[in-house]
Formats: sequence, C-alpha cells, structure tokens
Amino acid sequence: MAVPLKKSDNITLSIRNLSKIFKGRDEKVVALDEVSLDVREGELFTLLGPSGCGKTTTLRCIAGFEKPTSGKIHFLGRDYTAIPPFRRNIGMVFQSYALFPHLSIYENVAYGLKTRKLPHREIEEKVDSILRMVGLEATRHRKSSELSGGQQQRIALARALVYNPQLLLLDEPLSNLDAKLRVYMREEIRRIQKQARVTTIYVTHDQEEALSISDRIAVMHAGRASQVGTPDEIYEDPNSIRVAAFIGQANFLECRVIKQARESLVLTFPSAEKITLKGISNRLWDFPHPEGVLFVRPNHMEIFPRPGKANTLRGKVKFILYLGSVVRHFIEVFQGRAPQEVLVDTDRRIKGVYEGEEVALGFHADDIRLFPPDQKDQLQKE
Amino acid sequence: MAGSLKEQLRKIELTPYLVLGLTLIILLVFIVYPLSRVVFNSFLESGDVPAIKNLTLANFSQFSRSTLYRSALLNSLTVGLLCVLFSCLLGIPMAYFVAKTEVPFKTAFITLGTLPLILPPFVGAYSWILLFGRQGVVNYFLSELFGFVLPDIYGAPGVIIAMSMSYYPFVFLLTYGALLSADPCIEESAEIMGASRLRVIRTVTLPLVIPSIAASALIVFMRAVGNFGVPALLGGNFYVLPTLIYFQVTGFFNLNTAGAIALVNVAMVGIAIILSQYVMARRSYVTITGTTQAARISSNRILKWVGTAFCLGVIFFSLLPHMTVIFTSFTEGWAGTRYPTKFSLENYRRIFQFCGTPIKNSLFLATTATLVAAVVGTLLSYISVRKRFRGRWILDLTVMLPFILPGIVVGVAILIGFSSGLIILSGTWMIMVIGFFIRRMPYIFRSTAASLSQIDVAVEEASTIAGATWATTFLKITLPLMAPGILAGAIISFSTLMGELSTTIILYSARWKTITVAIIEFLFSATIGPAYALGTILILMVLSAIALANRLLGRKMSQMFKMV
Ligand SMILES: Nc1ncnc2c1ncn2[C@@H]1O[C@H](COP(=O)(O)OP(=O)(O)OP(=O)(O)O)[C@@H](O)[C@H]1O
Ligand SMILES: [Mg+2]
Repeated sequence: MAVPLKKSDNITLSIRNLSKIFKGRDEKVVALDEVSLDVREGELFTLLGPSGCGKTTTLRCIAGFEKPTSGKIHFLGRDYTAIPPFRRNIGMVFQSYALFPHLSIYENVAYGLKTRKLPHREIEEKVDSILRMVGLEATRHRKSSELSGGQQQRIALARALVYNPQLLLLDEPLSNLDAKLRVYMREEIRRIQKQARVTTIYVTHDQEEALSISDRIAVMHAGRASQVGTPDEIYEDPNSIRVAAFIGQANFLECRVIKQARESLVLTFPSAEKITLKGISNRLWDFPHPEGVLFVRPNHMEIFPRPGKANTLRGKVKFILYLGSVVRHFIEVFQGRAPQEVLVDTDRRIKGVYEGEEVALGFHADDIRLFPPDQKDQLQKE
Repeated sequence: MAGSLKEQLRKIELTPYLVLGLTLIILLVFIVYPLSRVVFNSFLESGDVPAIKNLTLANFSQFSRSTLYRSALLNSLTVGLLCVLFSCLLGIPMAYFVAKTEVPFKTAFITLGTLPLILPPFVGAYSWILLFGRQGVVNYFLSELFGFVLPDIYGAPGVIIAMSMSYYPFVFLLTYGALLSADPCIEESAEIMGASRLRVIRTVTLPLVIPSIAASALIVFMRAVGNFGVPALLGGNFYVLPTLIYFQVTGFFNLNTAGAIALVNVAMVGIAIILSQYVMARRSYVTITGTTQAARISSNRILKWVGTAFCLGVIFFSLLPHMTVIFTSFTEGWAGTRYPTKFSLENYRRIFQFCGTPIKNSLFLATTATLVAAVVGTLLSYISVRKRFRGRWILDLTVMLPFILPGIVVGVAILIGFSSGLIILSGTWMIMVIGFFIRRMPYIFRSTAASLSQIDVAVEEASTIAGATWATTFLKITLPLMAPGILAGAIISFSTLMGELSTTIILYSARWKTITVAIIEFLFSATIGPAYALGTILILMVLSAIALANRLLGRKMSQMFKMV
C-alpha cells in the first residue's frame, strides 16, 4: 500500500516499512526493521548511525542491489522495487570509490553517458564541464590509480553526477581520507550537491560530519530510524537518550519529578538536592513519569564559583581544558553510589572556577529534556 | 493481467539467466552426464542393454579372479607411493636449500625446477632407457671402463624414476612457497628458547610446511597413478591400471570393463584425497601468516655448498631426458652406438614429410579446446564467485572433478558418454575437444576465480548503477579486469594440451592423430629419431607459449603454476 503523497511536501523518495533480513547458514540478521523515511526534493539527507545499524543496507535497497524482504520504496510516486538497478537513473559514490581501474579518468566519467548512448560531442562537453566543476580537468588522461585519495573521491563524485541522476547516493564517501581533507571535502560535496541540485542520500557514522553537511538527518540504530530531523532538531531536541548520547556531548542526570501548580516542576536528585523550574513548556509539564533522566548539553549548563546557590547542584572541578573557542570543565557530582562526571562548556574562563574547587551548576528550563526511566539502559551503551 | 506479466518480464534482465543457464547445461552434458554413464556402465556386462536388472559386479570381479588385474592394482599403488616418496626426497630438501640457505642462482633454480611440469613426461621418459637402459649409453662406458653394468631399469624402476623426476617440482614449489611465507618469528622464538638448528627444523619448520607437503604429495600421487604414457613406454610387462584400461579400450573395445577399472583407479585417488585432508586438517593449527618479513636465511657455508650441489644435481637429472630428446633429434642412428655418428636434420625432414597433419591437429584441437574452456570456465567462475548461492560447492566440485580424475578415466568417460546414446561423436574431433576442454577447464576456472575475487564487487555495481546492463558490465568491466587470469589459465591449458596423451590415447581416431600420438607410435616401433624430432618441436612450442605468457603477464612461470 503506497502512502499517497502530498504535492506540497515535494517528497521524491519515500520508503515505507522497509525490512531486510539476511539469512545466514544458521542465523538470521535483521539488518533493517520497518524503516520509513521521506526524502524531499533537492535535499541532502543523511543516514547517521553506529557501525552495523543498517545504513549501507538501506542505501543498497534504494540502489536495487539488495532486494528488500518487505516494504516499499517509491520514487516520484513510482514503485522503485520493480525497476532493475541499471534503469533507476541513480548516481552512487562507493566507500572504496570503485573507479574502473583499467579505464582512464575521462573514460570513467564518460561511462554513464556512453551507456546512455549520448552523441560523442555531448559526452565530451559534459565530461569536461563536470571535471571542471570538481576541479580536476587536468587529470582526464590519467589512470585512476595515479590519483590521490581526495582526487579519486572527486572523480567518483563526478562520475556519479555527470549523467544528471535523479538521486545521488553516497556511502561514507569520506571515510578513506585523512581528517583535514575530510573537512574540506565535505564542504566540497555540499557545494557540488547544491550546484547540481540533486536529491542526495548521504551515509556516515561521523556525527559531526552529519551535522555540518545535512539538510536533514535520520539517526539509525539497530535497523531502525530512531529520529529524523534537521541537524539542530537532532542536536537540541533529541527524542531519546540514545540519539542524545550519539550526537555531540551530553550530560544525563537521574532525578525524581514532582509537578506543582502553575506549570512549575521540582526535580529532586539522589544527592537530595532540589531544583525548581518555573515557566516550563507544555512538553516538560506533560512528562508522565514520576522519575526520569534529565538531559542537558554542556554548553547549556551554567557554572558558578562557590556552591550553595539556590536551584543549583553541587560539584567539584576535576580539571579544565582550554580549547580556544570553548573552555571545557570536567566536574564531579555525587549522585547516587559512584561519583559522576558532568561536562560544562563556557565560552571563556570564569573567575573563581579553578581545578579542585567546589562549584555550583545550573541550567534553564528551556534547555533541558526529560527522558523516561525505561531508557536508562541506553546510557550504558556507546 | 497478461500485460503486466509481459511488463514484469521486460523488467527482469534475461541475459544473465540465459548465458549462465547455458553454461550450467554445458556442465551437465559434458561432465556430469559422461561421468554418470561410466559409473553406470561399469556395472553392466558389455553388450547388455542399460537397465537396472542387468546391473552386475562382473566387471569388478576381475580384480579377485585375474592376477593381471590384481598385480596392476598393486603396481599402480606402488608406483604412486614410491613416486610420492622420491618426489619428497628430492623436492623438500631442494625447497629448503632455495628458501633457507644462501645457495646461488635461486631464480634459475626455481624456473628450471618448474620446467618438468610443463614438459610432457612421456616425451622424455624413453631417454631413461637410451641413457641408463641395458643397451644405454652409460652402460657402454661403465662396462668398458669398470667392467660392470647398471641393473636393468626397464619396468618398474624406469617408470618410478621417470615419474618422480617429472613430478618432484610439485613438492618443491609448494614447499618452497610455504617456507617463504612461514613467519620467521616462530623459528626465531624457538631458537631463543634454546633449540638446536636440527631441532628447530624438526619441531618447528617441518610442521609448518606439512600441509603444503601433504597437498603436493596428493597431486604427485594423483598424477602418478593416472599417468599412461610413462608406464606404456617403460613398463614392459609391468602393468598399471591406466595401461590396463588402454588395452581394454583399444584391444577389446570393452568400454564397460575399462569403466570398472577406471572406477577402481578413481577410488584410489579418492582415498588419497581423504587421507591428505585428514593430514591437513589435523595440522590446521599452523599459522602461515602473510608477513612481509623475509624468511630467515642460514649463512652456513657447508649447507650452501651441499645445497648448490644438490639442486644442480636434481635439476640436471630431471631435465636430462628432455635434453637428450633435443640432442638426439639432431643425430642419426644414435642411441645404440657409443657416440652419435652423424649430426643432421634428417629426422626433421622426415617428420615434416609425414607429420604435418598431427602437428596441425594438435594445434587445432588444443586451441579450440582452450577457447571453449576459456569461455565456459570464465563464466563458471563468475557464477561461483559472484552468485553466492547454496550448494555452490557442488558447482565447484563438478568443475574440478576432471582435474582430480586420471586423464585416461576422463577419456573413457567421454568415450562411453558419446559413443552411444543421444549424442554420438566417436571418431570426430569434437569428442577430443570435449575431453580436452573438460580436463583443462579447472585451470581456467581456478585462475579466473582467483582474479575475479580480487575485483571489488563495487566496481561492477558502479557500472550497473551508471546504467549498464549485466552484459555490458560483464563485457566492459568484469572481463577486462579478469583478462590476466583468463590468459594465464588459457596458456597453461594450451601448453599442457599440446603434450596431452592420456585422454588423447582413448579418444583419437586415425584422422585425428596428434603430435603426442605420433610420438608414442614412433617410440612403440623404436623409431627414436623422428619421435625425438617431434618431441623437440613439442617442447619448443610449449616453451614459447609459456615465454609469451610471461611477457604478456609479467609473471613468473613458477607463479603461474602455483595453482596447479
Ligand atoms: N550480505 C550480507 N549478508 C549477511 N549479513 C549482512 C549482509 N550485509 C549486511 N549484513 C548485516 O546487516 C547489518 C547491517 O549492515 P550494514 O552494512 O547496513 O551496516 P552499516 O550501518 O552500513 O555499517 P558500517 O558503518 O559498518 O558500514 C549488519 O549486522 C551486517 O552484519
Ligand atoms: Mg556501511
């Protein structure tokens, strides 16, 4: 059953309840478990998740290299699963680049145009212009093995884009490059993708890369899409401890939740400290459990010299890292049996906060989220 | 509804199914069918119609009734085991010396040590008689100078010597490879723990190479018990199973009995395979890591000189028969007199007068069979490597089966399969091409599978996603990348087919005599000169094919034979 699409959404690719089960000799691997995603026209959509979560499998199902066990993939309203891969008009960049080793750079890029039986002149023009776009027009007669990793990467991108595919798939395209080149290339990819205006699905396990490059991100875990949203939604407003922990730095504190009249909440901590939050949003107010896990990003925490301030938690500064744009404080708090570490990021050094000193920690109602207690076990992982 | 079915069909690519399906049918018709017929027919008395009620063990009962059969069985076993023993005695020390000591000319030793594998054994075999036989050259001098002669080597000793000298390279090359790749740290740590050199060899080095030795021993055994030419020439009254099969086929045209003997021959090989698997499995704790660290080399001077002498000796004696062939081909009336009396090209003149057809036949048959094997073998290795499906091992086993089976058994199978029944091809060149092609396809299968598994699947997927159909991807991407593997396999296939005798001898007909048949006919009638002139031409053709392959592929000959 295809879900009818609203024109206004501009959704080009729609994945519904996609499941993929690999049957081994004696065990079954559920690589994808009822994944549903919608990708909008022209956007750079990222699949982000730890190793083995099913990103590549999703991509290969879209490309047609894997047959889904169940579920539907629709592209512009047409059932994709009935079309063989070579007719899907997709561009794909492989993790290993998979350039044709026996062909020259020119022939590599021209390959998809030749299979489309374009006239010779046109092929030449298109190849030249795409090579110019990736800045490698000088290498056209070389063999792929003679290029550096970054150059091969760009050739792979050019080869995938040259025939104006309707969809571009990139599987960890930067994982074989060194750190500096990775940062440069991800900006390049973003630039080229916007220039070509091609709907793109980008796979990575690097959360920083995902945040910086994507229009929207699907965070995947164990064959499921945990959350789909823009980078800031994912970062600021994760829908589970798992997503919160996977993206960026996060602090988690267990607490009890007591509701008071007029939209205010009292949180009590194992250390018997108490924080009252006023003027809270509906979502916090609607939190249905008597206890929960408080989530707050390090840059949303406040730090005060001297403990004992009202509505704060007591802690002790273990050490301070000065990272230039950020000052990171590692603070020990005593919540429950073992001491717990809390990170606090500030943009400058704070007077009176030194290593070994006791401090007070606070946060604002807008910056925190509460997660239900049954997600506690997600804390151990990662 | 009909329209949508048509639509559906158009969406599936049919080419791969058609091409690969056809390939599998070829496998069924040309390997599975004839081999099943042999098994079935060997339980039928000749003349009986194939029916379940006619099945009988009569053909096998010969082995309990006839002393000829029993002794042939025993002789085959003896030849096989002794060849393994001697091949090991020659090959293992030579491998050790080349891998682990400072002997000079290592590359030359390896190349020359590979040569006997390429040169057909039976071509040189008769030289042993010329040199060391009762009337042999060596005996002339011995009796003149010292007044004694060598014991007669005609019969069992000749057969065993000639085969061991031809097959020792298997042991040499495989053991050498294992010694090179064995992690030197293991030996070093044993030495640090205070083990003496000999103790290190016995307790550490040897166990490390045992699997390779077992594998090569198995190959030597298979080759030795399956060889027809050498015992036919040197055996005299010393019969082995292949010669027995030959007489059943050509003497009595009793294919069913031949089939039964063939089955016994195969059973012997089967038991050997199981035993060697057992040895290899039990030693599977060996860790042969692919370290880039060079093997540790002993700098002992005595070892160096002993090693050099040993290697030179082995190479000299193993190539002596073929050198004799070339030398003798330019003489007249030699062997039988003390010195060659006259050098001339008379032998060559004679063979070019009479033997143009066999040379042409051999070239035609070997080329055709190689081409067929290249096409089918490449497609089969593609299926095996790329289409991961359950029961893939059945495909692999079927393709490799003719490699394991003695050549003469394959010959009998093809003859039984295609001289009666649906397809009758006996007496044509086609039946020979079939035999050749299924026997050599394993070489191409292996070498193309090796190069295919080196190719990243993503490269083919990149082609598909760029819009190429299966056929385009296969032709433009996969095939060019597999080409070195195909070429290597094809050259080995071609050059060994030029010297093929065991299958040929069963399948040839008067119109389709090959060089090897011509040579063996000359030798049977003791017409040495022309036989050796033809032999020389054969050796030259084989060597130039291999040299060409080396040029094209930039690979060493010994590497090309690694897979054998
Ligand atoms: N061909 C296959 N056969 C069997 N299992 C497979 C196959 N391909 C993938 N899997 C399994 O499916 C799961 C998802 O694999 P997938 O390659 O999609 O992960 P991934 O998210 O791309 O991981 P990575 O970041 O390591 O590339 C894994 O558990 C993997 O072992
Ligand atoms: Mg992956």
